[in-house]
Amino acid sequence: MTQLSVVGKSVVRRDARAKVLGTEEYCIDLKVAGMLHAKVLGSPYPHARILRIDTSAAEKVPGIRCAVTEKDAPKKLTGTGVIRDMPLLASGVVRYVGEPVAAVAATTLEAAEEAVELIKVEYEELPAIFDVEASAGTNPPVIVHPDFSKYRKSIPAGRLCPDRPNVCTHIKIYKGDVDQGFKESDLIVENRFVAPSIQHCALEPHAAVVVPEPDGGLTLLTGKQGISRAKEDVAAMFGIEPHKIRVRQEYVGGAFGGKATIYELIPALLALKSGRPVKWVMTREEAFVLGGPRQGMVLLIKDGFKRDGSLVARKMEVFVDAGAYGEASPGVTQNSSSVAVCMYRIPHLKWDGYAVYTNTPKRRGMRGYGVNEVTFAIESNMDIAAEKLGMDPVELRRKNLLREGEAMLNGEIIHSNGVADCLDKICESIRLNEKSADEGPWRKGKGLALGNKYSSPGTHYGARIHVTENERVVIYHGADAIGQGVNTVMAQIAAEEFGVSPDSIDIVFSDTAVTPYFGHGSTSSRTTFNLGNAVRRACDAAKREILERASAHLEAPPEVMAISNMEIYVKSHPNRKIKVRDLFSSGHGGEIIGSADYKADCIPDDPRTGQLDPALAGEGKRFMAFYAYAAKAVEVAVNIESGEVKVLRCHGAIDLGKAINPKICEQQSEGGMAMGIGSALYEETLMQDGRILNPSFTDYRVPLATQMPSNENMKSLFIESAPHKDGPFGAKGFAEGVVTGMEPAIANAVYNAVGVRIKELPISPEKVLRALRQR
Amino acid sequence: MKRLITLRINGIEEELYVEPWWSLSQVLRDELSLIGTKEGCAGGHCGACTVLIDGKAVMSCLYLAMKARGKEITTIEGLRGKDGALHPLQEAFIDHFAVQCGYCIPGFILTAKALLDENPHPTEEDIRAGLNGNICRCTGYVKIVEAIMSAAANGRI
Repeated sequence: MTQLSVVGKSVVRRDARAKVLGTEEYCIDLKVAGMLHAKVLGSPYPHARILRIDTSAAEKVPGIRCAVTEKDAPKKLTGTGVIRDMPLLASGVVRYVGEPVAAVAATTLEAAEEAVELIKVEYEELPAIFDVEASAGTNPPVIVHPDFSKYRKSIPAGRLCPDRPNVCTHIKIYKGDVDQGFKESDLIVENRFVAPSIQHCALEPHAAVVVPEPDGGLTLLTGKQGISRAKEDVAAMFGIEPHKIRVRQEYVGGAFGGKATIYELIPALLALKSGRPVKWVMTREEAFVLGGPRQGMVLLIKDGFKRDGSLVARKMEVFVDAGAYGEASPGVTQNSSSVAVCMYRIPHLKWDGYAVYTNTPKRRGMRGYGVNEVTFAIESNMDIAAEKLGMDPVELRRKNLLREGEAMLNGEIIHSNGVADCLDKICESIRLNEKSADEGPWRKGKGLALGNKYSSPGTHYGARIHVTENERVVIYHGADAIGQGVNTVMAQIAAEEFGVSPDSIDIVFSDTAVTPYFGHGSTSSRTTFNLGNAVRRACDAAKREILERASAHLEAPPEVMAISNMEIYVKSHPNRKIKVRDLFSSGHGGEIIGSADYKADCIPDDPRTGQLDPALAGEGKRFMAFYAYAAKAVEVAVNIESGEVKVLRCHGAIDLGKAINPKICEQQSEGGMAMGIGSALYEETLMQDGRILNPSFTDYRVPLATQMPSNENMKSLFIESAPHKDGPFGAKGFAEGVVTGMEPAIANAVYNAVGVRIKELPISPEKVLRALRQR
Repeated sequence: MKRLITLRINGIEEELYVEPWWSLSQVLRDELSLIGTKEGCAGGHCGACTVLIDGKAVMSCLYLAMKARGKEITTIEGLRGKDGALHPLQEAFIDHFAVQCGYCIPGFILTAKALLDENPHPTEEDIRAGLNGNICRCTGYVKIVEAIMSAAANGRI
């Protein structure tokens, strides 16, 4: 590879200055002339029939301009996933506590708050179901969606599950014959793990301003993930021509998957009805309920091993709590299986994943999209098995690892797998077998876990490059700037392509009227890979245009010319040259534009078995765009008197292909490991009868600065030994993989320290103490 | 009923009509468009709304605007030097890659300023303890702590 000048360097983030000055405008900061403020009325019941809604008192509040119920909404169901099961506002029945039933818009937020409380709703309470396993049964006491069979859905018949009425998707991945495999096994290790619903806790709450336009369209000023998809969803709901829906945003105050949910429909309805711009900012409590928390899973795992440690068979049953509406849960149920598929060599696999309706808040996806929970079960079980086998847990893993060129358990041929290097580097770094001395009541232990995070192929991701008469390069893209540093990284990529400084790159982003289509948005760790490829291709297209134009000036065909540092020259006669700016100066004017898009070339699996077509897989066709592998290792201290667990050291190795901006990669890695510490030790959405009990930052405990290891004990190791052939400069996305494996690494370390195995997250002091007493 | 009050914000006297129950963050953001003061929870738990009142870090979402009369209020917009130069903490946050989504950052910088004004030579532990009222969900705090340590070590505060 040619020497890289900008890619691989820690270029300073271009968004940092405005953010430290406090001048960056987030969606929550926006004001538009004539803007009204929205408030939403949520259901107080987890399951109830709506008998009557009376908004008349609310409509008398001074300042109120509009109140809406399902009567005002299009008679359509929506759903930002594969099932259209969700009304804009509850229609006839409510299915979770907090489900939007009505909404108001008023000239002040105070008036809106006053009005929404005056809406009278009569309910007839219905029996509700909360437990995901009970709900997944063949004869559940409550059916959450009796009309499920009538809904529009894009789920193949092989993934429907009519004998389990609350299961909206059943994902099967079958390979070999697990029963035979268990017969051949010398050791069976069977366990049940629970990973609860947790919260994204993006610091900027979900917010949107919806502006009605004179042509009947809408402009959405928002702060989300996936502006292209929001445009499609809003257009479809209201029957507006898609090009008349314009979705714009600037920098977003964190997202982590929660802002891929479509929350703009309610303010859009209010804007259409009132004819005024409407702003809706979720309160923190609303963000906990409506923001689409992580699903929560119950995972049953049964592994069969030979005496020498070879994995023979694995059976997993995974119950994914979707809450009251499908949203992303069918996708999470499918994609979370990737950990079971692409990590270890296992002759027999039976994976049954069920996305299950319950009368709890609807879920979205959270950073990891199900993979972290599955990894918790698998990597805990591997340590349990290692002890029973009398094997070193590292050796047990190493022995079973799939390697480059082998077939995964779905038939996909592995490419770009850096897991073995991740494992080696992490072992070296943490010194797994050196145990630290006790300190008072604190016992110390170390643990590790592997993991990986796929990136789904999604759809088309575009970029456009405009080279100006002043030789500046302007990137147009529709990805979401959610804090990951997309604009800095894309500027580096374009600068590398043109051989210029990143300072000569400008960026126009996140505006569906101006920027290219960006399919499913900045989710699934896809931005660097997909947008990076699109930007490179668009740079190529712009350079081709430049050479075409230069051709007339230099009297040479484009093939014999090259461009460097904004100068075009004839390769055989470098003195025959012209500056890009001079292409504009002789009456030619016009614009130099290069457009391109990228779509990973992937194939679907067989819904009955989860297997790929062997012939296509043999040609190297993939199911996922790429997989980033990871290894995490931690040292913990466990207080045997209080049950408290502290993470003393936290090391993460991530197989990212190429670190395009190493410092930005470190940011992702450190933040990801912190999030993993949170979900391992502190975080859980507590629910009672479907009501969230802890919808605030006092009761829901996000890790604080003192709960993290010291800086010298947080280490990120970047593995670049397995670059991806289709990645920009070999890079893969990894912003989810940096979380993956934290939970089991910590659980394994706790076991190493005090000999208790916690199988239900979070590993709270109460659970540790109880287990210590029962030991 | 609204009352006319005067607040001294970033060295400027501002005359405002405010309701007695309005929080300082609401007044800063909605009445004065000082949007650098963020709101993350409106309950005093996240620290995104931190401002300095007479040099002390305060969560402005829980602080009544009326109560701030006669005090010196500093928001992130008031941290730059008179010549427009960035405050050393702002420089350090940029240089040390302490900024990701950035939403919590004004609160962290102001908390750090109050902390360093009181203790110019803090240990890492002192800094972490001082930051415990501020939540960052992106960074894991590593580079924020590093930036503050560096600003302190440079003695430029």
